[in-house]
Amino acid sequence: MLTVGIDIGSITTKIAVIDDNKLLFTDVSFTGYNAEKAWQSILDKTLTRLGIEQSAIDRLIATGYGRNSVDIADKKITEIMCHASGARFFLPKTRGIIDIGGQDSKFISLGDNGSVGDFVMNDKCSAGTGRFLEVMARALELNLEDFGKISLMAKKPAKISSMCTVFAESEVISLISKGEARENIVAGIHESIASRVTSMMGQSATPKPLVLTGGVAKNIGIKKALEKILKIKIEVPDTAQVNGAIGAALLGQKQ
Amino acid sequence: MQKFAYFDTGHEFPEEIIMAAGFTPYKILGDVHVGTAAANDFLFQYLCPFARGCMAEALSDSEQWAGIGFAHGCDATNRQFDVWKAHVKHTFLHWLDVPMKINKTAQTFYRQDLNQFIKALNRHFDLSISREQLRAAINRSNKIKTVMKQLAALRAEKDIPNPDYFEMTRMAVQEPKEQLLLNLEVMLDDWQNRDPFPKDKTPILLTGSDVTYKEWMEVLEVSGFRVVRDDLSLGERYFNTTIQDFDDPVEALVDYNCRIPQPATKVPSDNRMQYLLQILDETKVEGVILQTLKFCEPYALDAPWVIETLKHHGYKVIPLEREFTPTLDHQTITRLETFKELL
Repeated sequence: MLTVGIDIGSITTKIAVIDDNKLLFTDVSFTGYNAEKAWQSILDKTLTRLGIEQSAIDRLIATGYGRNSVDIADKKITEIMCHASGARFFLPKTRGIIDIGGQDSKFISLGDNGSVGDFVMNDKCSAGTGRFLEVMARALELNLEDFGKISLMAKKPAKISSMCTVFAESEVISLISKGEARENIVAGIHESIASRVTSMMGQSATPKPLVLTGGVAKNIGIKKALEKILKIKIEVPDTAQVNGAIGAALLGQKQ
Repeated sequence: MQKFAYFDTGHEFPEEIIMAAGFTPYKILGDVHVGTAAANDFLFQYLCPFARGCMAEALSDSEQWAGIGFAHGCDATNRQFDVWKAHVKHTFLHWLDVPMKINKTAQTFYRQDLNQFIKALNRHFDLSISREQLRAAINRSNKIKTVMKQLAALRAEKDIPNPDYFEMTRMAVQEPKEQLLLNLEVMLDDWQNRDPFPKDKTPILLTGSDVTYKEWMEVLEVSGFRVVRDDLSLGERYFNTTIQDFDDPVEALVDYNCRIPQPATKVPSDNRMQYLLQILDETKVEGVILQTLKFCEPYALDAPWVIETLKHHGYKVIPLEREFTPTLDHQTITRLETFKELL
């Protein structure tokens, strides 16, 4: 059975194709202004790459904030369910997932049977999300792709106290003007995000294994900062950014 | 009949006294489409936006109102009385110190408070509010509450969208009571003939801050939920209890105030929890949605305790914080849809 998952996020649109529970293809593109155009474009590109017609798709599942724009979807499922499904595909014993995307961050705990037990999401604030990192990268004149590696060179992470993106940017600019090493500032930013995410997770014991997903999972600095606070090893799938789309396609296999 | 406006973050303002005085009680709810900008010149922006919305409405419309009454509510809004006194145009502005507690001392205090309110109305508007007028108002109020209760009960059986229920509760506190009763009876006939409860909707109980605009009820609707019970002042708490027929109507109002379900502003909070558990026991729901308006401290502070207690009793609860905006918030919809998937 050929199923397709499309995850339309605030920054990127992801697609995954699963054939009989085997991952066949994934791709990522920018969402831009028009979510409908974004999914149509990535779907057309995928069909061309795979050399198949749309009619070959047995089931298409849409997820992400733009899921309702996918009028051809057989089903629309929230990203929480899809990330849980995708993480279990990567690591079947997964008990917890931290997903950090462009505009929100989530913590999902799974029950013994693998189903979603509970979840929490950030409030309507960009602190602790991919957008926050984008703003900070701009202030530091760095490419987002370099952020993770640079932070690993830090000798002493700077303290970023502000929880608000706007004020944190001012704080970063103050640190730059004080001559603080760039790598220390970047590491401080990562610790600030990790601190926000872990406080959102609450006081209960961290479930293990814990998987990090979403576009921000590509950033090694965030993984390290989370591991430092939570004091556990965090698993990051190679497919972390497309995890939601994979989960959607997998749920399509089960529908 | 001229409107007499009142600002009440709960459901305790004695509308019956206003009705007996010959005015239409009008609960100030603010207008989410207009926003709070007008009030932001006088109030800090970290004060409850609903309350700021109420002041914005008063700044715009108060000259159309015969008078304004305040009922003791949450601490943040109580302090607004002085701000209104200084900045909202009025000819009659009265503070009603609805007691925080319901013990004997509080009842004695409240009796005096109500009598002072009646005296103040008589003096200012040159009236002589009689016992008969008060009893007639109580009688009308009871009829309204009875029909509202019948209407609310239909939510669990019939196809009653959340905004329809909201509109019923809004009408009850803002429209002339005589016409209201007729309109509610027509509505009852309509609702009784609606289709059965839709299979794709999940029945829930809604608690937390008062929802004062229908767009948020639409958020619940598009997320697949139907509110079949609620613990809101602009909702069941308003009509849950009828006023007893005492010889002394003021005594009847004091007694009524002791028996109504309590909002989070009243202490001790155990009564509110008992009421929540009682209505959850009465009607089968799949889950509880506990939403708080941003900066609504009484409900936000109660939330951890309410969530823990309800979960302890086996209920599934989702906490949400919302902004004071008519815009459909997709992050909230995602949370709600996930909650529905989990149920």
